[in-house]
Amino acid sequence: MSEKKTRSTEFDDVLKEQKKEQRREKFKNDFPLYLMMLPGMLYLIANNYLPMFGILLAFKRVNYSIGIFKSPWVGLDNFEYLFKTKDAFIMIRNTLAYNAVWIIMDLCLAVFIALCMNEIAQRRIAKVIQPIICFPSMVSAVILSFLVYAFLSQSYGYLNTVFFKDNPIAWYNTAKYWPFILTIVHIWQSAGQSSVIYMASIGGIDKSLYESARIDGATKLEQIRYITLPLLKPMITMMLLLSIGRIFNSDFGLFYQVPLGNGMLYETTQTIDTFVYRALMVSNNVGQSSAASVFQAVIGFFLVLFSNMLVRKINPENSLF
Amino acid sequence: MADKKKNKIVLMKGEATFHYIALVIMTLFMLFCIVPLVLMMTVSFSSETSLVHGYRFIPEAWSLDAYAFMWAKRATIARAYGLTIVVTVIGTIASLIITSLFAYPLSRKDFKPRNVIAFILFFTMLFNGGMTASYIVWTRLFHIKNSLFAYLLPGALMGGMNVMLVRNYFNANIPYSIIEAARLDGAHDWTIYSKIMVPLSKPIMTTIGLFSALGYWNNWTAGLYYIGDPKLYTIQVYLKKLMDSIQFLKTTDLQDEAVLLAQRSLPTESARMAVAIIALIPVLIVYPMVQKELIKGMVIGGVKG
Repeated sequence: MSEKKTRSTEFDDVLKEQKKEQRREKFKNDFPLYLMMLPGMLYLIANNYLPMFGILLAFKRVNYSIGIFKSPWVGLDNFEYLFKTKDAFIMIRNTLAYNAVWIIMDLCLAVFIALCMNEIAQRRIAKVIQPIICFPSMVSAVILSFLVYAFLSQSYGYLNTVFFKDNPIAWYNTAKYWPFILTIVHIWQSAGQSSVIYMASIGGIDKSLYESARIDGATKLEQIRYITLPLLKPMITMMLLLSIGRIFNSDFGLFYQVPLGNGMLYETTQTIDTFVYRALMVSNNVGQSSAASVFQAVIGFFLVLFSNMLVRKINPENSLF
Repeated sequence: MADKKKNKIVLMKGEATFHYIALVIMTLFMLFCIVPLVLMMTVSFSSETSLVHGYRFIPEAWSLDAYAFMWAKRATIARAYGLTIVVTVIGTIASLIITSLFAYPLSRKDFKPRNVIAFILFFTMLFNGGMTASYIVWTRLFHIKNSLFAYLLPGALMGGMNVMLVRNYFNANIPYSIIEAARLDGAHDWTIYSKIMVPLSKPIMTTIGLFSALGYWNNWTAGLYYIGDPKLYTIQVYLKKLMDSIQFLKTTDLQDEAVLLAQRSLPTESARMAVAIIALIPVLIVYPMVQKELIKGMVIGGVKG
């Protein structure tokens, strides 16, 4: 009996020693893995985590001459000043309004294009059309601004010299046209690309469903209404929810560079992103710039959490976490 | 023969109308996408005098003046172009290496801290300090103003999304048993990474590499924020400054002699478009070859936000 006991304690000791050795071995084994992650980790710290502390700037009156750390704390002053100005109202209104209209419009267009593409998918020309309609998303905002300029330039632009010859319109000085101009440019740049995802989903639908519907005499529109759209619904809901998470963000290039950064167009082209840039780089107002950018980042954070929570409820596979 | 018949589009009554409407709509939409590019192209091939009447799809007089002008300015343009290529190549390679190196340990189920690290990575996808804070960190702490790092580093090098895509690809497509077998044979992690993981994940590496290259090639905001030295202009930044100078002239009193003089030294109307074309050409050339990978990337990128 006792012999047995000693034996088992001995055995335990050996086991423990072995485990320790294993752990040491494990760290030695894992060391290369840590080393591999080092560059990425350093980058995350520099690019992502240090700026998170930069949020504190929004609560300071930054004075470069005495240094950022010594600059005085001012509480919510920056936010108060910001929200007292008319700028705050305009940029928030514009950001939300463009997003609200475009989210719905993009969705309808993307599904519509996907349905049309699916209809002609078997033709050879579809292989030409698809890459071409996706191409505009490859064009940089600067080149985009040249393309738009070719149409809208006051003295040489295609529109003014062909359609408005007698009555040239000062496009770049008139704010009221820009909601339409930006919408068209946005469609040009992103409609094809955003349809791709729905095309992929439609392509994955079981063809036999359509076959049997046809045998039962369902028309194309009925097939779309009763087969395609219901099966696309999860994807549509998910994309909608994901875009809610980005509703306080805007495409800086589109809103800043395409209107050529023109001050006369603030009323319809200023968004939070363009304000952050202008306050920081043009009017040199670090306080207001960081207040606006922190406002955007914090609300964005909660919106992403919220939309993701909903996505997870509907389709856990597609949720970020 | 039977196969051919199967592939042929068999249309029932009423379906034909639907089919042709879809065809017409998509053809029109395709034209809508091409037309602005065509206008830009033809303007660049128009003679300067004919442009006085406005930009046209079919120039009144063809000319290579714009390209001759660019040839005269080749020192500046070639420099900007070369710099763009350097930034794109270095950036893409660095980004692929750092991303895949970060993704590999995350994919290893026996790597204990992987969940903590995945969370650290993941949190950056949910929350950021905003543009202003990021600008101040990069300029005041790392002093990247007026250096090539301004193009390579801020926001571009490694994104949470790309790491997740690569990790998921490793997990889904490379069976753990291969790694185990390699380790039993005495292979080190570096060997496993470089001889097994990377070669076996070519598709995902191609996709994120292409998007990363496109991002570097098209990056003009780095120039806007961090670059003041004309010697460091990439082609996109050069184009942006070109557009600025046009606007400046438009809003300034043209009686001003200095402005008139400046205008004379500016590229002509057609030359501006020619520079834009030159900046777009690499994308135009590479795109048809890689569009399948890019479109695939749009699908995965789209679903995962």
